[in-house]
Amino acid sequence: MAEQAGSHEEWLKQLAEESKRKQESFMNGIAEKLRRPRMTAAPEHPFRGAPDFWQDFEWSLEERMDRFEGNFKAAGGHVARLADMDAAKQFIAVKADELSAKYVIRQNQPELNELGLEEALQHTGATVRVWNSDADENWKARAAESDFGVVIADYAAAYTGSVTVLSSKDKGRSVSLLPTVLFVLIPLDRLKTRLGEILRNFDAAGREQLPAGIHFISGPSRSADIENDLTIGVHGPGVVYALLIG
Amino acid sequence: MSTAGAASTVKERADLALNDEFLRKAVKFTTERLRNGKKQASDEHGNWDDWRERGRQIRLHTIAHLDYYLNLFANQARANGVHVHFAETSAEAVKLSLEIAQRKQAKSVVKSKSMVTEELHLNHELESIGVEAIETDLGEYIIQLAGETPSHIIIPAIHKNRYQVADLLSKEAGETLAPDTSILAGFVRKKLREKFLEADIGMTGCNFAIAETGSMVLFENEGNARMVTTVPKTQITLMGMERIIPSWSDLEVMATLLPRSATGQKLTVYMSGITGPRREVDADGPDEMHIIIVDNGRSLQLGDPEFQELLNCIRCGACLNACPVYRHIGGHAYGGTYSGPIGAVLTPALNKNVAEWDDIANASSLCGACYEACPVKIPLHEMLIYLRRRKLEQGHGNAVESLGMKGFAAVMGNSKRYAGIVKLGKLGQKLVVRDGGIRLKLGPLKGWNTYRVTPSLPKKSFRDQWGTLEQELRHGLLELDPSVRSRMEGIMRDRDSGGGNGHG
Repeated sequence: MAEQAGSHEEWLKQLAEESKRKQESFMNGIAEKLRRPRMTAAPEHPFRGAPDFWQDFEWSLEERMDRFEGNFKAAGGHVARLADMDAAKQFIAVKADELSAKYVIRQNQPELNELGLEEALQHTGATVRVWNSDADENWKARAAESDFGVVIADYAAAYTGSVTVLSSKDKGRSVSLLPTVLFVLIPLDRLKTRLGEILRNFDAAGREQLPAGIHFISGPSRSADIENDLTIGVHGPGVVYALLIG
Repeated sequence: MSTAGAASTVKERADLALNDEFLRKAVKFTTERLRNGKKQASDEHGNWDDWRERGRQIRLHTIAHLDYYLNLFANQARANGVHVHFAETSAEAVKLSLEIAQRKQAKSVVKSKSMVTEELHLNHELESIGVEAIETDLGEYIIQLAGETPSHIIIPAIHKNRYQVADLLSKEAGETLAPDTSILAGFVRKKLREKFLEADIGMTGCNFAIAETGSMVLFENEGNARMVTTVPKTQITLMGMERIIPSWSDLEVMATLLPRSATGQKLTVYMSGITGPRREVDADGPDEMHIIIVDNGRSLQLGDPEFQELLNCIRCGACLNACPVYRHIGGHAYGGTYSGPIGAVLTPALNKNVAEWDDIANASSLCGACYEACPVKIPLHEMLIYLRRRKLEQGHGNAVESLGMKGFAAVMGNSKRYAGIVKLGKLGQKLVVRDGGIRLKLGPLKGWNTYRVTPSLPKKSFRDQWGTLEQELRHGLLELDPSVRSRMEGIMRDRDSGGGNGHG
């Protein structure tokens, strides 16, 4: 084992140098085994992505909503179609009453800031917290003790019944993971047909633009590890509401 | 490996499994459930063979240019702020992991499912330096408490019933838990929540690594992999060097094939793409992220025309569920980290030493169901034959079998000798035939007759009857049935006049 001398940073730097040396021999070894010189330029990739017949497959909005709902429910999730954000606020308030939610955590997004969830929940006595709104707070712990998490989907895919959430300073990965109940608000213009319509955006954006966490969520957390018996809510939220808005 | 450890051959381990009534039923039930789920999901999706072919092409392309794509991945991940490491052997990967744990003065490591860490026996190694390693996938957690290894790549605790699970978890809880799956899972949720929040390091495997952006992708249903990559301050990911795909667009194909093939789901509940550690301004995600790229025998397949396609495997487990042998003997009988048809080929392929090639290549009926099930069309059944051939070529054959084959060749090569032997056999078998069959479990008949009955030689063999048969045939041909004859003639006339329904 390496001696503990030197700062952690120095040690990491030393590892990085070692890694770069090793990388060269690793790649040379691969090329040698493949019996050709090292490939240093991008090879032509004629089979990139889904088969051609799939690329322009698209459902109408009505069908996307139907299919999304069917798939999300089949996975054990709940779906509600709501006219506008105000209806979404009411929906969450009713559920908070019903389930006696004490702590609610939401992302720090303009749409949610305007929602007025705080006022709507006042009568229930629930506290609404806004992710990362205070630098000194332990936000992971706050999310872990929350009954409700409220997020807005960046995308959704009807074909698989999935929502996509991207992380940022204002959008915690914990908010869609640690609370017991999750509400995902989906503006209809973000509801696509296929996964590929979402994934291609990440290729187009390129490495530097990608967030640390991109999460596709397709229902409540589940497991069939004990006697194949389906159990809901093993580690992640056990109750998930997808609210289609518009 | 409490039960599997004692037996040294596949046959002995399979005997243990076959004696365990519950195991056999559980494996059969689960594999059938998964297999039917896959069939339904792939049928519903449609054009399944086109998708398989696309998946195969993407994997073939990536592996054929692995030096380019792996290099690109390493550079991009580094640019994202990841500490990338390379390990040629399992020992190197273990050393790196332990060093990081020690530098971080870690007390505990929470792990999400990773077959690579199983290859490295990393939990054991971590314990040896006083670091608690906790498996957090429900099934993996159960078998960790039992001190066993996974018996199925997707459902690791397939061989445990709810009463056994309740016993294990009650011991952990310090109180008696009812054998009810929701109570048991509820206990695990609460118990592991504490572990997630207090762990110093989160450790994961990697389903796919996207070369162009240096991202790693995880598929899971429980949310534990998300926990492990979101909550602890340090993340270590162990990844096989072949896990690469070029782009996010290619991920659509893998996301279409993997969940449907594994469990029949359209997509797993969570599919997460992690691109580097937490950004400076983020309030969750790891501060420090390490990716250890592991060879451990994988590169031995590169440039080997018979085995390179093994590296295309996406670890879905569909070949296990399809395999008639796996369904009978279960995962532990294979004796390695990977079981089923893929394990039968991968385990020896990852080991340089042919002497360790064990007898698993023989634990297959070569029916090809594994190939049919494989979402990236790996010809596993053919690889099993290549393995058997190599084993023989390198002098690891069975001496009795080769002697038998030589004798067989000598007898079959000469008709007079063959006739003599059969005559001798007819006389000899009078001593052992009972009820038209031979049940003697001695000498070369032992293996076969333990489970079956060898048919006796008939009084009149096919060869004895051939003379008469041939006469009948020749005679019959001369006297063609008049109705058949007229039909044939009709066809000939039609053909002359340009008919024939376009056939031919």
